[in-house]
Amino acid sequence: MYDVPNSERTVTATDTKIAAKGVQVYYGDTHAIKDVDVQIADKTVTAFIGPSGCGKSTFLRCLNRMNDTIDICRVEGDIHIDGEDIYDKRVDPVQLRAKVGMVFQKPNPFPKSIYDNVAYGPRIHGMARNKAELDDIVESALRRAALWNEAKDRLQAPGTGLSGGQQQRLCIARAVATEPEILLMDEPCSALDPIATAQVEELIDELRQNYAVVIVTHSMQQAARVSQKTAFFHLGNLVEYDDTNKIFTNPTDKRTESYITGRIG
Amino acid sequence: MTDATSASAPASQPPRIGSILHESDRTKRRNAAERRFRLYGVIAISIGMLFLAALLFAIVRNGIPAFTQTYMTVQIELPADVLDENGNRDPEDLRKVSTFGYNPLIAAALERTVSEAGIETEITDGSDLRDMLSSAAGAQLRDTVLADPDVIGTTQEFRLLASSRVDGYMKGRVDRESLARDPNLSPEHLDVVDGLVDAGAINRSFNWPFITGSDASESRPEQAGMGVAILGSFFMMLVVLVLSLPIGVAASIYLEEFAPQNKFTDFIEVNISNLAAVPSIVFGILGLAVFIQFAHLPQSAPLVGGLTLTLMTLPTIVISTRASLKAVPPSIRDAALGVGASKMQSVFHHVLPLAMPGILTGTIIGLAQALGETAPLLLIGMVGYIATNYPDGVASGFLDPNSAMPAQIFEWAKRADPAYYERAWGGIIILLVFLLTMNLIAILLRRRFERRW
Repeated sequence: MYDVPNSERTVTATDTKIAAKGVQVYYGDTHAIKDVDVQIADKTVTAFIGPSGCGKSTFLRCLNRMNDTIDICRVEGDIHIDGEDIYDKRVDPVQLRAKVGMVFQKPNPFPKSIYDNVAYGPRIHGMARNKAELDDIVESALRRAALWNEAKDRLQAPGTGLSGGQQQRLCIARAVATEPEILLMDEPCSALDPIATAQVEELIDELRQNYAVVIVTHSMQQAARVSQKTAFFHLGNLVEYDDTNKIFTNPTDKRTESYITGRIG
Repeated sequence: MTDATSASAPASQPPRIGSILHESDRTKRRNAAERRFRLYGVIAISIGMLFLAALLFAIVRNGIPAFTQTYMTVQIELPADVLDENGNRDPEDLRKVSTFGYNPLIAAALERTVSEAGIETEITDGSDLRDMLSSAAGAQLRDTVLADPDVIGTTQEFRLLASSRVDGYMKGRVDRESLARDPNLSPEHLDVVDGLVDAGAINRSFNWPFITGSDASESRPEQAGMGVAILGSFFMMLVVLVLSLPIGVAASIYLEEFAPQNKFTDFIEVNISNLAAVPSIVFGILGLAVFIQFAHLPQSAPLVGGLTLTLMTLPTIVISTRASLKAVPPSIRDAALGVGASKMQSVFHHVLPLAMPGILTGTIIGLAQALGETAPLLLIGMVGYIATNYPDGVASGFLDPNSAMPAQIFEWAKRADPAYYERAWGGIIILLVFLLTMNLIAILLRRRFERRW
């Protein structure tokens, strides 16, 4: 598979979760994403890397239609999740976002208690019939986010009172509480110190068991550590998409090589 | 010249080029400019403080006397043959004796009081002494008799309002010299007053009727109070709050969170900002045209005043609400949308609670502005002599003619009698107390609802 030259457009995963084809994104007159085709596998961590402004975050936000909230943003092309077009007229983005969770660059817990932060999603989606069920959901989400041991004694304390790394894990718990199938992470560690980063990375590796994880990162080391697949974006183009090992050891495209060796970006 | 030699050079030598131990000319000029700017700031603030102090001093000095009132305690005989000729205590018959019918009783009582106090005076005629009391005294007697006919035939002790001249004399506003040119009271009366003060019949006490009472006619400033106007303001504020808070907040949420950004919403935005700067009298004439002439709502009613002030307050509330919605970090909206909340859920569950302190502050400041507004009320007739007495005013509510605090103050300030001038200052103190209370509530609410994120 790796010996096929210029294979970035034809990589196929065995179990495709997200399939994007000919995606174009415009911000007003700016052409931010140019004809991107990519197939993202289930139960895999896929990293998007590239210099600032290359469009990797924009593309990530297309996957759960967060770009809808920006008036001047226009998306063309097809993005299918489990074979369903998410830009179909019948799709309610609110329902889609319950299925595709998102963790943001800056930890953004609600100014409410830890419990309420995690319980918010399940509550609005009516996932719990009673308090006990909700308690279970909150506990399991906090466990999956590796925050349970630190938070179990202060569930009613404000989420904003946690440290930066804990806040980010709380945001991950909040995202997994709604039982999504895909988890999008937009530079989740850029506001964290190295120890918190290590914890979150470990967590991402565990989340791979249950979710398709897509992570945007500025740190190539992080991409190399946590991901199995890596996509390199440059100036709105998807330059190369391949196994992470291949990208970092033997990139096909000259631009990829320049970026990972520090000559551009 | 090396560094080593320059460092050991005597102080008289010119400093080494680039030494940071000496201020360069540029640095000197910059520092001087900064010192000048700070000085201007201190001067500006001092001038402001000076004006504020002068204002407060003037208000307190001129207004405080309005909160005390001079009364005269007199024993008055209520003979049955004058008040109830038929002797059957029939309320209808009792009502036939007008307030003027009580004046001879007061005059007689005054004559007796003066002679009992041993005051020697040239004024022997009781009806002349009567000038020391308010013309409202007769009504006070009549009300007592009508309320309880059993007092007829007895001698009762009455605490009667002194006239505004006597009141002014007690407060130092009136003296013998000014009375020489005043037809209402003569300097000789003041000798009697001095005597009665010594005898304990005249004293000053706290003026509750000023806070609870209604306006009075031009000749009876001693009887005028703010109570009815306070009620009128209260009813208007109720209307303003009930209408402008929901309309203003809903409009701001829609404009800020839901409306598309286009020429039309830009146009609305510009117009809201312009409306906030429209002179309030324009809103007054709009209220006159729309609510009274077109919709035929009653004139002078707090409902109309409230509607007019709502129009005036809405832009303030919309602007402050939008500002506080804008101040909520977008990451909170993203977070809510990210877990699958709808736009409306993200606004009502997360954005609005965070914007609440700002919205409440803006609303209360808008209300305070409306509370102090006079000009629109002049045009819809909420100014003038409103005689509704205090307990009736509570029940009559939104559609009966009423006044408002600032309009009442304006009305008093227009009147010629210096006693009304004093009442106007006193009214301003009451108005300021209300405004300060509202601002205090705004601060407390902001503290209470403020949350970190």
